[in-house]
Amino acid sequence: MSGEGRTTKRLKANAALRQIIEDFYADAHRAKAEGRPVGWIPPMNGLIELFYSMDIHPVFPENWAPICAAIGTSVENFARAESRGYSTDLCGYFRNNVGYALDGIDEENQPLGGMPAPDFLISFGAGCVPTMKTFQVLCDHFDVPVFRADLPQVAIEDIREHHIRYGVTQIKRLIGFLEEITGNRFDIDRLSRAVAYTDEACRLWDAIMDTRRARPAPFSAAEIGIMFVMVTRHGTRVAVDFLREVLEEVTGKVDRGEGVIPNERIRLFWDNIPLWYNMRLFNYFEKWDAVVVAETYTSAWTMRMDPDRPLESIAYKSLTSYPMVSCVSLNKRVELIKRAVSDYGIDGAILHSNRSCKPISMGQMDIQRVLLEELSVPSVMFDGDHMDASRFSMAQFQARIDAFMEMLLQRA
Amino acid sequence: MSPRGEDALIIPALEPAGPRRSRQERAVIVTDLLSGTICLSTREGPGPWKGFKAFEQESPVASFPELYEGHAGILERERGEHGRKCVGTLCSYVPVELIHSFGVIPVRIWGRPENVDISDALLQPFICPPVRQLMALGMEGRYEFLDGIVHCYTCDATCGLYNIWVRNLKPGFSHMVSLPYVDIDEARAYAVAELEALVDALESLTRQGFSPESLGRSIALYNEARSLSREVYRLKAGGFRADYLDIHYMNLCAQVLPVETFLPRLEEFVEELPRRGRGSGGRARLLLSGSVINDDSLLAFIEQRGGEIVADDTCLGLRLLGDAIPDREPLESVASYYLGRTPCASRADFPSRKRYILETVGAFEVDAVIFVHQKFCDAHLSDHPFLKRVLDDAGIPSTRLELEGVGFDGQVRTRIESFFEMLEAR
Repeated sequence: MSGEGRTTKRLKANAALRQIIEDFYADAHRAKAEGRPVGWIPPMNGLIELFYSMDIHPVFPENWAPICAAIGTSVENFARAESRGYSTDLCGYFRNNVGYALDGIDEENQPLGGMPAPDFLISFGAGCVPTMKTFQVLCDHFDVPVFRADLPQVAIEDIREHHIRYGVTQIKRLIGFLEEITGNRFDIDRLSRAVAYTDEACRLWDAIMDTRRARPAPFSAAEIGIMFVMVTRHGTRVAVDFLREVLEEVTGKVDRGEGVIPNERIRLFWDNIPLWYNMRLFNYFEKWDAVVVAETYTSAWTMRMDPDRPLESIAYKSLTSYPMVSCVSLNKRVELIKRAVSDYGIDGAILHSNRSCKPISMGQMDIQRVLLEELSVPSVMFDGDHMDASRFSMAQFQARIDAFMEMLLQRA
Repeated sequence: MSPRGEDALIIPALEPAGPRRSRQERAVIVTDLLSGTICLSTREGPGPWKGFKAFEQESPVASFPELYEGHAGILERERGEHGRKCVGTLCSYVPVELIHSFGVIPVRIWGRPENVDISDALLQPFICPPVRQLMALGMEGRYEFLDGIVHCYTCDATCGLYNIWVRNLKPGFSHMVSLPYVDIDEARAYAVAELEALVDALESLTRQGFSPESLGRSIALYNEARSLSREVYRLKAGGFRADYLDIHYMNLCAQVLPVETFLPRLEEFVEELPRRGRGSGGRARLLLSGSVINDDSLLAFIEQRGGEIVADDTCLGLRLLGDAIPDREPLESVASYYLGRTPCASRADFPSRKRYILETVGAFEVDAVIFVHQKFCDAHLSDHPFLKRVLDDAGIPSTRLELEGVGFDGQVRTRIESFFEMLEAR
């Protein structure tokens, strides 16, 4: 078990997922070819439901970056960004997407055909600074219409009516912009249906994650790629149908007592974004009969939407998805991890100190202390980067993890 | 109804400062603030303002460096003798007028490049030096005198710092404001709601009700301080002799002192500058761009080496000196001020960054720009290639320095020297 390279996936649903990924990018290229406007938008917000309800295909640079990392083209994009003067200290998503957009977009043989050039851009204030700045670079580079909006950063526990109200006013502005750009009419009933799909997807997501409470757990963090539908196909039946399949499969595994590994002994929690270029790392723990059964990142989708209040629902989603997993709402995040430790029977936690993501990495020392002092759960932190393989040392990872796992085994 | 970046930019005004209030008038304002007196009726005569040393003394007040070095003592005296509370602020977007209107002193806090490693217990090494330095000072207990902390969300690192600070140092009071990024009617209404939430929090802290009149008086003091500070920049740009370090300490004092303590020295400084006469000129006129630059030796070295820093684009200087806040609907006016002010790199889009840099270069007749970046600062690092291109196109040479939190090292020194050699060869 080297722990390097691509993960060994076990869920049958991965075959369907591969098709969904290909279809998503093929749909984007088809829209472009047919002259339907393609918009590049920031991730983790309620715009996606609006887009699908208006027959507009969204493109998410932040979803594209992990694909580049997994396939290996991120290295070329990093070099392109650096040659444009962008510091290597910047987030890997930023460097990949800027490098691709500025100098790589016309290159042939891009994975999945690449992202088709945008016909318009949605540029937020905040979200996280690198995402905000990525879109500012794109706005400067592409000579296309831009919709500028806000995404105020508010801790989830501090969200009040005026935040939602402001979100709704901006969505209404955006609707006007989209109608003008695309010529498509907004229909509140269609948005309501899209919101209902997202609500159902989130419900299924929670049910899928809940199956991991079972011992042995039916799947590990190595299958985190199923999150693709939560990022790109919210608001559609595609996500709901796929997640139903996944739920059926993992429930069956639980019923049959089939785990990721035959003799599960140790259950782990993972904090921060995975190393997209090395998803097989999650399998590394198996030599100690250990499985990663819960993560911070996957909890970004633990929410409910109200189809009867579609505008408010997507405003609320926009306000909460990112703070749920970042340091905007550190108390909430700590609370979430404490609950996961109890719900999933966690024996130890792996914290990825992620040089490419300050908002998610800040607060990890607090998390470690809470785990140990309040829950007696040991944890280990390793240095890495969710996009840039040159910032991750397998030897150092192994040294830290091996010692940690030995210690956990002695406690078990 | 246009996004922020398309609006007119608020560039530093180069007109002379407006009519000034006398020291006594200012004292009355402050005393009213503290006593809860609403009426501004006693502007003549000594009034009940005795006890505010800053207004009583007729002898020259301390220099800005002296005031800054002694600010902890000044704050302690305000706390001890006048029972005023002090609230730490992490960012220039915290609406200080509002805090001041409750009689509370807003104190901008930052760190020093010493013992930074103790922050390792709470922060990773890839977090920017200013945030790590500040956390270190907080962990050392240097800010224990504060009654609380207020932040306004700007960048990821300070947002994380705020949360980690609150969890670990457990201040008695904490509040975060989240201002919008676009300057439209709905955004202003939202910003007012955010300010109202801060008002609620301050009412709980002080057990005082909010007074629009009191806020109006605080606004007047800050307006005056900003107007006089702009005047200092104007005088220096006009050739009157002042080191940028003088201005730097003026800016620091503006952030850490009660505004009524800061004003007398500022007024003297404005009066003193023309008496100093004009410099010989001939030095390269520079604009400094970055976030928090608190390294005296770097600033001094640049000017000793032959540059004249006449303008800045930092979290301490010109960008904070927007036009006067109007004397009406005070909460709305404060909201409009912070939304309309020249935005920082963490809040601005590229068009507004470009406009500020080019207009400042033009207004201050800048010859060259020095970017002083803190390592790992996402906002400034992301802007730099764009701004460099803008300056290249305008024929303005620029260089970039990167600070790693331990003072400016030999590499930075060499870079500055090379830059000046290049400028001299032009």
